[in-house]
Amino acid sequence: MIGLVEELVLLGIEDDGAIAHTAGSADFGMALIGACLVELSNQGRIDADLDSLRLISTAPTGHPVLDRVLALLGDGDQGTVEQWVTRLTIEVPELLRLTLRSLVTRGVLERTETRFLWVLRSRRYPVIDGREQKEAKLRILATLLGDDLPSPQDTVLLGLARVGGLLEAFLSVAEIARLEGRIAQVGGIDLFVRGVESAIREVQAERARAMMLPMF
Amino acid sequence: MTQSALKTTTEVTPTARLVVPVGRLDFEASSSFQQAIENTIKEAGGAPVIVDCAQLDYVSSAGLRVFLVGARAAKLDNVPFCVCGLVDAVRRVFVVSGFDKLIAEHPDRAAALAAIK
Repeated sequence: MIGLVEELVLLGIEDDGAIAHTAGSADFGMALIGACLVELSNQGRIDADLDSLRLISTAPTGHPVLDRVLALLGDGDQGTVEQWVTRLTIEVPELLRLTLRSLVTRGVLERTETRFLWVLRSRRYPVIDGREQKEAKLRILATLLGDDLPSPQDTVLLGLARVGGLLEAFLSVAEIARLEGRIAQVGGIDLFVRGVESAIREVQAERARAMMLPMF
Repeated sequence: MTQSALKTTTEVTPTARLVVPVGRLDFEASSSFQQAIENTIKEAGGAPVIVDCAQLDYVSSAGLRVFLVGARAAKLDNVPFCVCGLVDAVRRVFVVSGFDKLIAEHPDRAAALAAIK
């Protein structure tokens, strides 16, 4: 059984094993950090409210990605979920690398390397039997298409896929628009997901402000 | 881990079962609170379950998830489920996280009992 961090990364893998364009975006990176924080919260290492993220225990979880984030949380100053998501953004490439390695080790993905024009290396991670990836997509679809209250796990998976821009990888724009009400209703009912969403919104606002600056 | 700062009691009225958390609902308290809600839903025999939050001062992310787990368990068992008496600090968390749109909420116990009649 794989965890939320791995599920989120699997959602960012294309059919041909390429890492989806969205998986390289800042939004996806922040969603990945959100997944780490939710897992740490589920494992009793941290808790959060609207004003702060609280460290409960620094005992390692045995999961290399989570333990890296946990160590950074232990070394840092206090902050809100949003502030921590922003601070940890610099760690995203390493967190992604560790997660892909873990998925390869577990036999969920294989790693292949090809050369383009004999020089440029292209690394792909084809899914081996696709069961875990399909399961994650089906859980999201079941949450979206049903009218039951989803479990906290399904809510968080949907919420992080939404803020990370991963829904577009398997739903059409028209479908997302049709399901907008349900996505908004159940895709954010978690304080960590809300924190990630706020951090993403802040980055977008910052970018917009920068574009408005006069050139001279 | 610090000791839980939440006390939870249950009450039975002629028309409903009540779960009454008092104090702070954080990670440390979430497991016992979840147990109390799930037991009450099981024992309710279809009667409505009201979580009276008038003395709940604080709710964290972990605590919030318990409300979702409870509401979900109640729905699966066809048990009406609602919360009442949210203090401002807790209400803010419910509103920001969108829980107020998923779980029925009433201003106080009297209003909740009247609504489920």
